[in-house]
Amino acid sequence: MSDAADMAVQVENVTQHYGAVAALRSVSLEVPSGQYFVLLGPSGGGKTTLLRLIGGFLRPTSGRIVLDGRDVSGLPPNERPTSMVFQSYALFPHMTVERNVGYGLRLLRLTNRQIRDKVDAMLELVGLSGLGGRMPHELSGGQQQRVQLARSLVLDRDIVLLDEPLASLDAKLRKDMCLELKHIQEKVGITFLHVTHNQEEAMTVADHIAIIADGKLVEAATPRQIYGHPRARFTAEFIGENNLLDGRVTECDGAEARVDLGHARVRVPSGGRAVEAGARVSVSIPSERLRLSDGGGDGLERLQARFVERLYLGLTHNDVVRLDDGKDLLVRSLASGAGPDPVPGSRVTVAWERGDARLHTD
Amino acid sequence: MLDAYGNPWTYRLKWLYLLSVVFALLLPSFYIIYISFNEHGFGARIYEFTFDWYRVVLGDTMLVASLKWTAYLALATMSTAVPMALLAAKFYRRARRKVLFVTLMLSPLFVPADIMGSSLLVYFKHLNAACTALAAALGTDWLASWFELGFVTALIGQVVYTMPYAFIVILITMSRYRTQQTEAARACGATAWQAFWQVEFPQIRVGVFSSCAFVAILSFNEATRTALLKGGFDTFSNVLVSQMLNVGMSEESYAMAGTMSIVAMVAIGSILVYTLARSERLEREARARAEPVMSR
Amino acid sequence: MARGAVNARGAGRGGTTAGPPRPSWRQRVLGENGLQRWVFYLPAAFMILFLAVPAALTLVWSFFERTTFWMEPGFTLFAYENFFYSARAVNYLHSMLHSLAAVVVSFVIGFPIAVFVRRRVPQAAQHRVVLLFILPFMISELVRVFAMRPVLGRYGLINTFLMDLGIISEPISAILFTPLGVIIGDVLSFLPFMVFSGFLAMEAVQRYIFEVCDDLGAPAVRTFRDVIIPLAAPGIFAGSVFIFVNALGTALVPTILGGPGAVNAGLIANQAIVALDFPLAMAISAIMIVTLVTLLYIGHRLFDLTRILEPIS
Repeated sequence: MSDAADMAVQVENVTQHYGAVAALRSVSLEVPSGQYFVLLGPSGGGKTTLLRLIGGFLRPTSGRIVLDGRDVSGLPPNERPTSMVFQSYALFPHMTVERNVGYGLRLLRLTNRQIRDKVDAMLELVGLSGLGGRMPHELSGGQQQRVQLARSLVLDRDIVLLDEPLASLDAKLRKDMCLELKHIQEKVGITFLHVTHNQEEAMTVADHIAIIADGKLVEAATPRQIYGHPRARFTAEFIGENNLLDGRVTECDGAEARVDLGHARVRVPSGGRAVEAGARVSVSIPSERLRLSDGGGDGLERLQARFVERLYLGLTHNDVVRLDDGKDLLVRSLASGAGPDPVPGSRVTVAWERGDARLHTD
Repeated sequence: MLDAYGNPWTYRLKWLYLLSVVFALLLPSFYIIYISFNEHGFGARIYEFTFDWYRVVLGDTMLVASLKWTAYLALATMSTAVPMALLAAKFYRRARRKVLFVTLMLSPLFVPADIMGSSLLVYFKHLNAACTALAAALGTDWLASWFELGFVTALIGQVVYTMPYAFIVILITMSRYRTQQTEAARACGATAWQAFWQVEFPQIRVGVFSSCAFVAILSFNEATRTALLKGGFDTFSNVLVSQMLNVGMSEESYAMAGTMSIVAMVAIGSILVYTLARSERLEREARARAEPVMSR
Repeated sequence: MARGAVNARGAGRGGTTAGPPRPSWRQRVLGENGLQRWVFYLPAAFMILFLAVPAALTLVWSFFERTTFWMEPGFTLFAYENFFYSARAVNYLHSMLHSLAAVVVSFVIGFPIAVFVRRRVPQAAQHRVVLLFILPFMISELVRVFAMRPVLGRYGLINTFLMDLGIISEPISAILFTPLGVIIGDVLSFLPFMVFSGFLAMEAVQRYIFEVCDDLGAPAVRTFRDVIIPLAAPGIFAGSVFIFVNALGTALVPTILGGPGAVNAGLIANQAIVALDFPLAMAISAIMIVTLVTLLYIGHRLFDLTRILEPIS
């Protein structure tokens, strides 16, 4: 285990049951101090449950939660070093923006002057100077979320929890707010733990991403690793646009494995994992790494397929090809560099650099 | 929404029907008030307006004493039933086995007054005997007369009767409250009580206050359960019942019935006016909200 | 204000992974895991202690032996014999019929109002219109029932009005101190409940459903029978049970409007209490409670009564 002092959040074997349903199954996770950490996963996967456990809104069925090196498993939210930003509707509708932001400070019995100064500074930080006298319903959705952020940050807690903070915003605003969140986090330098189901949002803000699905921690890594070198098959399926092929290992020499796909055999880098012959594995290849090619070249893997159709997407286009076993592959390429459309039904060769394929053993 | 293609006269006719049903429901009470102000009482062909009968009622020391008991009981019922209903509503929002709980809370609505009254009466008599025996066995008189028929038992009967109404009213108000706000307050460092008192309560206050009024009026009106459980004292409605049954409809009993109607009407009328004015205001705010604020 | 002010109470930031901080006794007793948690069980406990338990015990007490002023433990069916082999049972059946009639009349008068309000009144005004029906309900039932006498009586409002108009020459005497009078009294007492529960049930019927019906060109009667009734069934049922049971159990109405010999279950129980025949009172209460529970259970199995509560949960 890493040095406890450097970890803002340590979740140890936490299990959460709702009645007979297990929302989380023995999850362990560590979040280093000062990071922008994102919990990413499909809806209903347990990520919000995990966040609420950390915030103290739920009591774990079993396991421990350690914040700043202190076991807080039995403590209510107000005695934890966390503050939280909610999806929406969480502003106090009967208080002005100023009173909303200053609420936590008033609970700490600060003087009015101190409260005013802190609130003003915080409103400035989130770009809402001058709107302190407004009521929440007089603000736009984006502004409301800024107020929520200010209300959390003003408390000077070590960890800010964000539960789908941008979910209620439209796509454009969401993008802007993403960047802003990132910049604010960099400015204040405290730990942000952000839950989302939107991978673009996650990629934009995160220093680290943890993928959570089906009540389990699938994997945790930097956005680059998650995107470029996902270890789990689920990650490859969930992040980016990957083609997944299932097969069986025929032999493995340490650096490379040979995988029998049924209709063809391919060579895949094993990523340093020991794989035994006969093991069921998956191979994933990002769609942008595939190309329709007839050219030769060393280090290329090839599969035979039939061209199905071409989908024009603006910047890129996706070619759909069908393998002999009926499985469709997506081949993405820049629309500008494309040649004439192949004839549907014609035979094509799909190729990729051997190093671009990833082996998944789970 | 009005059906744009419908016949406006059918629509008006339906409204007329609705209002005449309300009118028919209110008519007897209004008629009683009308009679109560007549010098010559019911059935007289001459109508002379007078306050005399009300003076008689308010001059009757026994009646004034019973009004005092009524007020005590209404206050006690209100201050017991409403907080409990509030607790129940909060419990309900989090409860897992909602059906069981809500059945328990609402079932008093379905138990008629005389049935609930009789079974509670017998229950209290047994309970009292048990407590007295227990107190004697323990050599203490602390427990002895807890459930002797009297104010406390009447109060319990009324709380059982009124709590479902308060529960529903509070629950309806609470259903508009977003629990994230409580969590946000907790995340800001508020204790459970602070979060309730500073954030949730201001938003459900109206519901709590109207359920207070509701409970007070119900308690004020209640006669049957109280009559069975009260022991020694009489409430206003108890006196009215015995008057009506023994003397029949005297001018004085018209004035008493008139008093009860007027009190209830004034109370509920002012609540209605207040709520309507408030919802008018909220609507105006909602309209303002619908127009987006452009500055960002 | 130093960072991590909330940490002040426990181990500081960066402290060793200590065990959970031990709460003070004050926290343990008054905190969220102490009294604060248990206090929420108070209403349920209260209702169990003063409603469920007495209701269940009425069954037991109905088998007790009657003594001169009270009852003593034993097992006898005397109270039930006393009830079933006497005019009481017949009267009880009659009052059931009257209650049923009150339910039907209330439904016919009240439910269309609920449908009309839900369907044709602007959304924002709907609750206010329903609130109109609270007004009569808030006047003491005692007063309302008593007030029927001067209205329905021989020289009452209705008769004098009709005779003044010359529509009738003789006062109508069938509307007071008769079963009809009891039914009128029950309807006027409990009608608002049909409107409330009907409206609550209609809240479960989405507005677009009416539009779909209009769009399909369904005639009003078909819409009512095939769409509204099934969707609103839980509310209609709950309102009907309410009216039925209360009409059966409220002694006030037959006492005041029913004339000589008119009784219902409530009145029989009340008279038994007055006569100090407690086992008989308990037997009648037990019969009522069993009737009520059975009705609610059947209704729940048929219509899932919890659907009524959806708008508020």
